Amino acid sequence: MPRRVLIIDDEDDIREVAALSLETVAGWDVTMAGSGAAGIAKAQELHPDAILLDVMMPVMDGPTTFRELRALPETANIPVILLTAKVQAADQKRFSDLGVAAVMFKPFDPLTLAQDIAKALGWHDA
Amino acid sequence: MNDAASILAARLADLWRNSRPLIDERLAALRATHEALTLNFDDVAARTRGREAAHKLSGVLGTFGLPRGSEIAGAIEGKLMDHDPLGPADLDQMAAHIAALDAVIASKNAG
Repeated sequence: MPRRVLIIDDEDDIREVAALSLETVAGWDVTMAGSGAAGIAKAQELHPDAILLDVMMPVMDGPTTFRELRALPETANIPVILLTAKVQAADQKRFSDLGVAAVMFKPFDPLTLAQDIAKALGWHDA
Repeated sequence: MNDAASILAARLADLWRNSRPLIDERLAALRATHEALTLNFDDVAARTRGREAAHKLSGVLGTFGLPRGSEIAGAIEGKLMDHDPLGPADLDQMAAHIAALDAVIASKNAG
C-alpha cells in the first residue's frame, strides 16, 4: 500500500509541486487542501499517514491548524510536518515546541522531498 | 537521470509555465510596493503586501530550481519585516533586488 499524505498549503504552486514530487518520486497517494479548515476536514475523512502543513496561511495558520488536529480524536495521532519559508532559529524552536513531528523548509528539492519526509518520520520505504 | 527524475523534470517544466502568471503577479506586487514606499516610507499596507509577495516568491522559486531567486526574495522579505522605515538606500537596494529577480526568472524562461 502506498503511503497517503495530505498537503495543506494555500499556495497553489507549492501544493502542486509537492504533490507532483511525492507522487512521481515515491509513488505515494497525495491529497491536497488549500486551507486549514479544508485540511482538517480531509484529515478527518481520510486519516492520512502524514500531513505536510504550511505555516503561513490566511484565516487559520499552520500552528492553529495543528492544534485543531491534535484536539480531534480521529486526527490527534497523525504525524504532522510543518513546512515554512521562515528560517530564523527562534521560529524553528517555536514550531518544534508545538509537538510537530518535524519542521521542513521551503524552498524544498522536489527530487528529495519524499526521502526527507520519510527520514523525518522514520519510514524506510521511500 | 533516472525515469522518475526525468518525468518529474518534465512535469515541473509544465507546472512552471502554469505558475508564471502568479509569479509575475508577485513580482508586480513587489514593484508596486517599491513605488508606494518611494512616495511614502511609512506605507504600512504596501509594506505588508510586498512582504507577502516576497515570502511567496522566496518559498517557490527555489522549488522550481531557482535557489538564487529564493535568496533574493528572502532578502527583500527580511528588509520589509524590519520595523524601521526604509530609507533611500534601502529602496535603491530593493529596486536592485527586484531587477535581479526579474533576471533570474527570465534566465529560466530562456533555458
